[in-house]
Amino acid sequence: MTGPFARFGLRIRVALIFAGLAAGVLAMLGFGLWAGWHRLGMAGAADGFVQGGLIAGFAALGLIVWVWLLFDRNVARPAEALAASLRARAHAGAGGDIDTKPGRYLGDLAPAAAAAAARLAETQTALAEAVARETTRLADENQRLEALLSDVAAGVLLVSGQHLLVFYNGAAADLLGAAPGLDRSLFDYLHEGPIRHAQERLISAGEAEAVSDILCTTVAGARVLSARMRLLGDPGAVQPGYVLTFRDITADLAADAEREALLTETLDRLRRPAAALAAILGVLPEGEPLPPMMEAALRDEVRALSADVTDLARRHEARHGAGWIGTARASDLVEGIAARLMAAGLTAEADAAPLILRCNGFEVIALLGRLGHALADAGFARAFRVVLTDDGAGATLHLAWQGAPLPIGQLDRWLDEGIDRGLPGITGRAVLTAHATDLWPEATVHGQTLCLPLPVQRHAGPRPAPIARAVVYDFDLLSRMSGAGVADTRLADLTAVVFDTETTGLLPDQGDEIVQIAAIRIVNGRYAAGEVFDTLVNPARPIPARSSAVHGITDAMVAAAPPIAIAGRDFHRFAQGAVLVAHNAPFDMAFLRRHEPAIGAPFDHPVLDTVLLSAVVFGQSAEHSLDALTHRLGITIPEEARHTAIGDARATAEAFLRLIPMLDARGFSTFGQVLAEVRRHGRLLKDLN
Amino acid sequence: MAEAGRRHRVLVVEDEDNIAIALDYLITREGYDHDRVANGAEALARIRDTHPDLVLLDVMLPEVSGYDICQNVRLDPTLADVKILMMTARGSAVERRKGLALGADGFISKPFELKELRQEVRRLLGDGA
Repeated sequence: MTGPFARFGLRIRVALIFAGLAAGVLAMLGFGLWAGWHRLGMAGAADGFVQGGLIAGFAALGLIVWVWLLFDRNVARPAEALAASLRARAHAGAGGDIDTKPGRYLGDLAPAAAAAAARLAETQTALAEAVARETTRLADENQRLEALLSDVAAGVLLVSGQHLLVFYNGAAADLLGAAPGLDRSLFDYLHEGPIRHAQERLISAGEAEAVSDILCTTVAGARVLSARMRLLGDPGAVQPGYVLTFRDITADLAADAEREALLTETLDRLRRPAAALAAILGVLPEGEPLPPMMEAALRDEVRALSADVTDLARRHEARHGAGWIGTARASDLVEGIAARLMAAGLTAEADAAPLILRCNGFEVIALLGRLGHALADAGFARAFRVVLTDDGAGATLHLAWQGAPLPIGQLDRWLDEGIDRGLPGITGRAVLTAHATDLWPEATVHGQTLCLPLPVQRHAGPRPAPIARAVVYDFDLLSRMSGAGVADTRLADLTAVVFDTETTGLLPDQGDEIVQIAAIRIVNGRYAAGEVFDTLVNPARPIPARSSAVHGITDAMVAAAPPIAIAGRDFHRFAQGAVLVAHNAPFDMAFLRRHEPAIGAPFDHPVLDTVLLSAVVFGQSAEHSLDALTHRLGITIPEEARHTAIGDARATAEAFLRLIPMLDARGFSTFGQVLAEVRRHGRLLKDLN
Repeated sequence: MAEAGRRHRVLVVEDEDNIAIALDYLITREGYDHDRVANGAEALARIRDTHPDLVLLDVMLPEVSGYDICQNVRLDPTLADVKILMMTARGSAVERRKGLALGADGFISKPFELKELRQEVRRLLGDGA
């Protein structure tokens, strides 16, 4: 419907029609009486005409009001309720039969609507089944892909052209040092300079395959990351998104700095005695006995030099051994070597102490495998035992055989060769040097063995349960229109944080405080997996028993919880850049805003209240409690989750997601349009937006 | 152990001349007969020819390593009574373990204190500290 009355609801429009009818009847009645009196031409008859007119006017007005009330109760209100029910089924997927009883005066309209709704439900069920089958198949594929990506040791980020996170894997979440969130600015986590410059370099290069290697640092923790950037899609686009892969090189840099410091110290400590020795030798009288003072000086300097060299060498060896070269489970190591030998037609048995070793497993397997092959080729043996023993301070890997001893000269020649075709340029000697160890043949009572000492990381217990390292993504963020303000953003494209609080009471002005905050992040109309905020808050005051009875949170539970200053700051960071959504938002916002000075950040986010959204969709006269709204939308809240902050936040989020298409169908697509309509409903407090 | 009345014979296998001079001086002063070879290739033949009581054996030698010589000496049963004291510039625990595993009787790292070296030589030759 268009025209000046389009913005009014059905009931108000009907009321306006009856008001117009009443005004028209009264005007016509007045005009008729005036014309009659004028024609009669008797001045004394005016009182009679006025009296008759008032009686007829009140009677007509009463009749019209009575008919309007009947019409409103039996037609307009049921029609509006019927429309809301149909919209809930059409747009929010609500189920159940339509109640036709209130619409009995609408003739066949209510049964026809019920039949249409039933047919729609059947169609929706069939469609949902087909979609579910396809969704399951895609979800399986997705799961496999996610498993692959989550196991990548490097951090991987996909970032939109506006530097907002679109994808991150578990390693990235670990390395960034703060829980990342989709649609948040990358610069909340990494300093922006090198990233912006790399993006500009790649854009100006204009090549799809171009990459840029950069060093960047994390905002939290000041980790140094070595990163590689590659643009996504067309590099000629104005602001293309990009992939960032990175690893932590803080330890590498620290090791470099330590090595540099040791080298500097070495030179400093050697330079002085070298200079002293050169000076003494320079003035030493040739062919004469050594003067006692010079002899003493020479002895002192040589002794000092010798002590310095010994000390520096010991520190160099300790530092070298402490370098990180990876870890490997001893059983994996020996089985890997045995497998390599058996693959070449040799016999191999494996046995290992339950240890985790500090070594590059792949290189050690390649080295011992190579030596086993060399021993077989040279005729020493074709059957081996690969054993790893615990020596207390460390471990020794043995490649044992029955037969002739291996000359160490032969072993040295093999160690000078490459260990694997896949590792060009890496010799056995290089592997030993990298591991600060050595390898030698040894004769034992059981036969011959090659011994390779390796450092132990720790004793191995049962394999721990794998840590869930989910990947989180929403690729639709890449194609989202850039530059749109919140007001012009479609509701379905909003990044929203739906939250709820539990409190000590209902009166923030009289000292009631928050005891729990829970929130869920919604990006592009979907839950952002894993992006959930849920914390207890220490209210610094006792929780009344009647409040504990509602939400189940007691004084003991919040004793070790953070105060609102910290929990509020964490929540503010979680909600950064998002629209806040809550059911009866003014209540929760009042609690939060009281503590803005302590939190150190204003809650000046755009806010939406699902109470008001419900009023827009279902009319003011409907009940808008969270229970009533969720019931109307066909959302089930488990009883145990009700009146918990996270349970209510989930229910509110679900209701919000179902209200979005209903608002859209009513022509309220953008945040700005919804806000204007909500304001018209008059309950939105002016301080919210 | 040397036969009665015969002085102990010590062979120095060391390619660094100045260190060899110091070792020769120490051995002479201790009253032992001394001999020296400067590379690994000659060392094994000299040991077989002269059958010394003790070999002061440097690890890092040109052509043939000290470990190689040590292993070959230990594989020759006729040289079973020849004591070997290995010397290395690094002196890491792994090197020490490797030397002893290949049959060395002692291990000393450079730069060494002459007092420490003297004690080790005396211990190996059974002359007491």
